[in-house]
Amino acid sequence: MRAPISTAFAIATGLLVLVGAFLPLPVLLPIRQILLSWTIPVAATAGLIAILNLLSVHWRKLNSARERDYYSIILLLAFVATFAAGLILSPTDPDFQKIVTHIQFPVEASLMGVLTVTLTYASIRLFQRKRGWLAVLFTASTILFLILLSGFLNVSENLPFVKELLAALNTLPIAGARGILLGIALGSITTGLRILIGADRPYSG
Amino acid sequence: MDVDFAWTAVAFILTLLTLSYLLGDNPLFRLVVYLFVGVSAGYVAVILLFEVIVPRLVSPLLFGSPAEKLLALAPAALSLLLLFKLSPRLTTLGNPSMAFLVGSGAAVIIGGAVSGTLFGQIRGAIQPFALSQSGGGLQAGSQLLGGLILLIGTVSTLIYFQFSARRKANQQPARAAVVQLAAFGGQIFIAITLGALYAGVLAAALTALIERFDFLRTAIQTFLQ
Repeated sequence: MRAPISTAFAIATGLLVLVGAFLPLPVLLPIRQILLSWTIPVAATAGLIAILNLLSVHWRKLNSARERDYYSIILLLAFVATFAAGLILSPTDPDFQKIVTHIQFPVEASLMGVLTVTLTYASIRLFQRKRGWLAVLFTASTILFLILLSGFLNVSENLPFVKELLAALNTLPIAGARGILLGIALGSITTGLRILIGADRPYSG
Repeated sequence: MDVDFAWTAVAFILTLLTLSYLLGDNPLFRLVVYLFVGVSAGYVAVILLFEVIVPRLVSPLLFGSPAEKLLALAPAALSLLLLFKLSPRLTTLGNPSMAFLVGSGAAVIIGGAVSGTLFGQIRGAIQPFALSQSGGGLQAGSQLLGGLILLIGTVSTLIYFQFSARRKANQQPARAAVVQLAAFGGQIFIAITLGALYAGVLAAALTALIERFDFLRTAIQTFLQ
């Protein structure tokens, strides 16, 4: 058996948390609460380790003789400057918050804006390559919902027939979305149960 | 120079450099992306330290009551073991901590999927058939019809993702005719849904682009004053 201690750990923890969620037994509730309260700092440590790993990868790229990546120095310097500022000022300091409002937000919003052009370009190229009734239906649905989202048809909402029609059109994507959501939920439950019975062990690397 | 003016200039330059991607991938865009990842990583690290690790792990261990110290010992030990994941040779020592995270995460996900998505969506699919809450005959009829279309769409979408097929002698494995018909209907609903989702993303991205252009215009006006 591969990684018996870790498997026992995963199964015991998972079962206690899961049973505690569905059976409100007085014995199980505090145990579940304690286990979940332990998960938060451990997950935070995992996040810090992921960041350390990112930094070590870029440090190696910077020092690699074959494929030296000079952009990595920007990343490392930006990390050090932000981290040092955070340690000195604390995250709630208004000056530290300016990092978010004047560096992160402009870049995020601009990347989102760039997405408009790249998405449109990608969809046109896809439509050129794959022409079929599904592509036509997808495009028609996109155009229709873009018009609906623009609020262009809101002017005619006073007419009862148009109002009914718009309501009916708006409910159409719900059916597909509900099916996809149920599929995701069923998939998540299956994957979770496979971990809880020890069939899948993604931690034994 | 005014500090706010300098920060606006920083945001202005970063916006311009990011939008330079519209002309194609270029060194200036890459520079911004690396800077963004570095700043974000630093910000997340600070938040994790100050908001989670110090108040939930370090403070109870150093300044807590004996009971709090005892309770904080287990996550401290698990966190220390997790640090071994950084070394390729000692990585197996971190497996119990990963198992703890995966086990509790799986349980939370199952609980969320069952009570949040599964029950919620099933309740939503049943609701239109509760005719006692509806008004007159015509309204009840349209509600029933809408509910039926939604139910057919939901079930056919689920059937579309059913790819298992029965193998017959000297024949290619194929799904039953009924399943194929339902899957065809599912494809229609999926195409409509993905089109609507795509339109939503496109509209949000367009809003962000307009907001950025508006910011650039306002910033230029500020610089010229």
